[in-house]
Amino acid sequence: MKLSFNLLNASIMAALVIPAWTRADEVVKVDPSIPSYEVVSGVTGNLNSIGSDTLNNLMTLWAEGFKAKYPNVNIQIEGKGSSTAPVALIEGTAQLGPMSRAMKSEEIDEFEKKFGYKPIEVKVAIDALAVYTHKDNPIKGLTLQQVDSIFSSTFKGGGTAISKWGQAGLDGEWSDKDISKYGRNSASGTYGFFKDEALLKGDFDASVKEQPGSSAVVQGVASDLGGIGYSGIGYRTSSVNAIALGTSPDALFEPTYENCLTGDFPLSRFLYVYVNKNPEKPMDALTLQFLKFVLSQEGQEVVVKDGYYPMPAEIAEEVVAEIAN
Amino acid sequence: MKTTPEQPEPATPAPRRTPDPKRFEASRLVLWTDAFMNRFIKVGGLLVVVTVIGIFVFIMSQVVPMFQSAKVDVEGSETISEQLPEGDYVAVAVDEWGERPLALRQDGRIFFSDLGGSGEIIEADLEFLEADTISAVEAVPGSGVIAVGTEQGGVHLLDYAYEPVFSGGKRTIKDTLSKAYSGTVEGVVRELGFGQSGAARLVVTLVEAAGGQQQLLATLIERKRSLVGSGTWKETAAVDLTASLRSGVPVKSIHVTNRADSILVIFENGEVDYHFRAGSGTTFELRQTFRPFQDLDEQKIANSGFLFGDVSLVFVSATGVNRIYSLYRSEDEPLRIFHQTKEFQALPEAAEFFSKSLRNKAFITGYRDHVSLRYATTEKVRWEADLPFKVEHALIGAKYDSLLFLTDERRFHRLVLDDPHPEVSFQALFGKIWYEGSPEPKYEWQSTGGSDDFEPKLSLVPLIFGSLKGTFYALLFALPIALFGAIYTSEFLHPRNKIYVKPVMEIMASLPSVVLGFLAALWLAPILENRVPSLLCIVFLLPAGSFLIGWLWSRQPQSVRKYVPAGREFLYFTPVLLLLLAAGWHLGPFLEQVLFRVKDSSTGEMVADFTRWWPTVTGTPYEQRNSLVVGFVMGFAVIPIIFTIAEDSLSNVPGSLRSGSLALGASRWQTAWRVVLPTASAGIFSALMIGLGRAVGETMIVVMATGNTPIMEWNIFSGMRTLSANIAVELPEAPHHGTLYRTLFLGAVVLFILTFTVNTVAEVLRQHLRERYKTV
Repeated sequence: MKLSFNLLNASIMAALVIPAWTRADEVVKVDPSIPSYEVVSGVTGNLNSIGSDTLNNLMTLWAEGFKAKYPNVNIQIEGKGSSTAPVALIEGTAQLGPMSRAMKSEEIDEFEKKFGYKPIEVKVAIDALAVYTHKDNPIKGLTLQQVDSIFSSTFKGGGTAISKWGQAGLDGEWSDKDISKYGRNSASGTYGFFKDEALLKGDFDASVKEQPGSSAVVQGVASDLGGIGYSGIGYRTSSVNAIALGTSPDALFEPTYENCLTGDFPLSRFLYVYVNKNPEKPMDALTLQFLKFVLSQEGQEVVVKDGYYPMPAEIAEEVVAEIAN
Repeated sequence: MKTTPEQPEPATPAPRRTPDPKRFEASRLVLWTDAFMNRFIKVGGLLVVVTVIGIFVFIMSQVVPMFQSAKVDVEGSETISEQLPEGDYVAVAVDEWGERPLALRQDGRIFFSDLGGSGEIIEADLEFLEADTISAVEAVPGSGVIAVGTEQGGVHLLDYAYEPVFSGGKRTIKDTLSKAYSGTVEGVVRELGFGQSGAARLVVTLVEAAGGQQQLLATLIERKRSLVGSGTWKETAAVDLTASLRSGVPVKSIHVTNRADSILVIFENGEVDYHFRAGSGTTFELRQTFRPFQDLDEQKIANSGFLFGDVSLVFVSATGVNRIYSLYRSEDEPLRIFHQTKEFQALPEAAEFFSKSLRNKAFITGYRDHVSLRYATTEKVRWEADLPFKVEHALIGAKYDSLLFLTDERRFHRLVLDDPHPEVSFQALFGKIWYEGSPEPKYEWQSTGGSDDFEPKLSLVPLIFGSLKGTFYALLFALPIALFGAIYTSEFLHPRNKIYVKPVMEIMASLPSVVLGFLAALWLAPILENRVPSLLCIVFLLPAGSFLIGWLWSRQPQSVRKYVPAGREFLYFTPVLLLLLAAGWHLGPFLEQVLFRVKDSSTGEMVADFTRWWPTVTGTPYEQRNSLVVGFVMGFAVIPIIFTIAEDSLSNVPGSLRSGSLALGASRWQTAWRVVLPTASAGIFSALMIGLGRAVGETMIVVMATGNTPIMEWNIFSGMRTLSANIAVELPEAPHHGTLYRTLFLGAVVLFILTFTVNTVAEVLRQHLRERYKTV
């Protein structure tokens, strides 16, 4: 949805923005053309998942749903961080490696050194890395250059330092209010993604408060009137606004599902599960069925329930075709 | 124990026996057991020693390979292709497995070589030049694009891609080639620079028109990217940068970054222009003009190029001087510009070729048959040699596992490179390193990043510092309490009460450190955050109050003091101390109101808040999970150990010494302080050292109760990252036998050396003390 002078869009915008952002406002529907999951026979065994903490809730919910279909399946889930997934796959301690970022070439090298082929990347959900402000903050949106000017010390976007809300376009009592910045710790995949895409690989300003988890960022912003922070869309609450972002001030886009799909919202990304599959052999039945479940109607409804965005039908279909051969 | 009166046994006189000589002989079983145990204990002791040495040897075996230098077996590992057809080859590229290199001939023909198989040469079908000659080319390794400019003004982008195909357990590499873009300019393309990000490509050409006038033109080609797919490339802007050219100074080369936002123009006279395009804009500003070899007589640049990540530029001068310039923003400058950060050992001559690694900060450079592989982070030459052939083009294999050369005899030579840990040097682990993007050299630990071009920062110094800081604050809290507690318990407390105190303390020692850490992080830290002033009050009030009460008590007449017998002073002391504790706790907020006022930036009013006052006054941050919390809780883990051992050694001082001292008229205090304490000093010292050892190695409390931030400041209100916590936190994400894995083991070695030194020094001192206060 484009924030332009288009009347129709403006009225939709009004409907969406004027009441505070809450989960109930936006109804994301899973594409009905994604098929429901069909139970097959003979699926038993143990499934281990080690990796991202961003995906931990999702994995747990999927595991519950999957177990409901196959009572004889055991699933263990560990979420210590994206970087633990490649190691677990290489050592064979897990069949599933959920990651909130794409695997690095170096990690793929290690894997390939051991197995002779690369791991398979399975896209499982869409996340919009949203920029949050306090719910009473009247700001509607920021350009990426402004975001860079707020969070970075390097200003690779070309701006100059912004430390007060007045410099970001607010007036009245807000113009003199300091911007209080919240971010993630450096080990997180979200930190790396924001650094690459919003800061253009620049460096964070020292005044950005590093929080240990995504929900801590949102909590920090919620309790700080001048606060701003970034986190996955799954962590949105009613006490913060997920503001619009864009490349120029007259083309700002809300972090909605549609804007993520069109690429208009600039900080959208996939969430992944990596698996070990020999290109010459079919995937083992348990892993395959689990991934099929994840990419089915039921699995994608879980994604929506957890606050993330579901896969578009055609990509889900592509992914299923790739893992099933 | 109670003794119950028993009935006296009837006294029956024992019969007198003559002593049997055998009575004085030990039984066989005893002898046998004795002999067995003698050997058993010896063997057991030996096994312990062997195990400890074995563990140490294992850890060292994990660490030592990290320090090996790069190995290239020129003779043994060489793979040579067949000869390419006649002609001048202007560019080479290779797949990530190093099995199918390609060479671009000046007339636009492309040849692949099957290096993974027979080495035969295959000519590609693609024909993109018609009767034209390539006059400028840029093939950035790993970009998948070769950019070409021709004598007739053609500008072409060629896409190449490789893909593995598996069949029957064998991998073969399939290549695809296509022309991605064609444009034309008026004149001969003399130099060309190319760079691309996911959404933008930037082609920069130096065009010479028929009259000899030169133009510097930049063409921006962009596409829209979304999660669903990418749009098509469209030419969006053409920028004329001719104004920045100097008359009479030819351009030597042009580099463009991988974000398609910076242009580096290198002139023949050794000058470099840095143009920058902000964000998604289409205008370039000239940010900087500099001469990398300004201080030298020979300022000409022989060769140059970006390191992986495109933040640092490598320059080799015409005399072989090798320097790196990195982009960073220093304190007094508003923008990021290039500054010199490294200087390598010079090459004997000017460099003719240069290429970068696609995995790390290594680069290869050299001339003719002389090749040098260097690593930027550590400023070290990894490998340097004279090869048996002359090199025209050189590449580092994409996985940093091979070196590929195109020789003057038009053959590809591939050498196997074995250099698993190029980022390690003594300086990198224990010294200051000037990392990319940093305005100064520093000690830093940041082992993993989310992107390929991340430069690992592996200094152990912040971790060693963290271990020492945690130990210091823990002992600062634990030592006085444990030692004075032990002295009081053994010398002053009534023995009736003493028998309860010691076991309780020992139970305290059995609390698992995970539990303590959990309490610290989730219960203590949030409480302390709001109550630092209270804590300050207590720290002041408790000792001061104790002295005051002790003094007041001693002034009381004997008639009052007789009600509390010696050894039971705690009866009146404890309630008073508890009262003081409560008073301090509640006085804190008042102290905060008076002393720790700070201006609230959002309202402009003065508010009392210690957590905000501290950063404004000291300039160091206040973190919720800080050294104070760790010191407290780790103190709890250490107190019982120090207490028990110290108390034991105090109690073991012979009673005769005490009695003698008291009999000669010394007070209880004089006896304890002047007689008992020195005699027991050896044992107390042991207690201290064992406590220190426990604190240095403590892991779980630190992991849970600090933010694990590897910083180097003594600030009590910031956290730390200790060696042991670091191992616990990072081992799950360290690939086996990788650099991080080995560095973590090195951390273990350092920890071992640390405790070993402390223990050895302690043992020597203890022996010395024991010798001196030998009494019996």
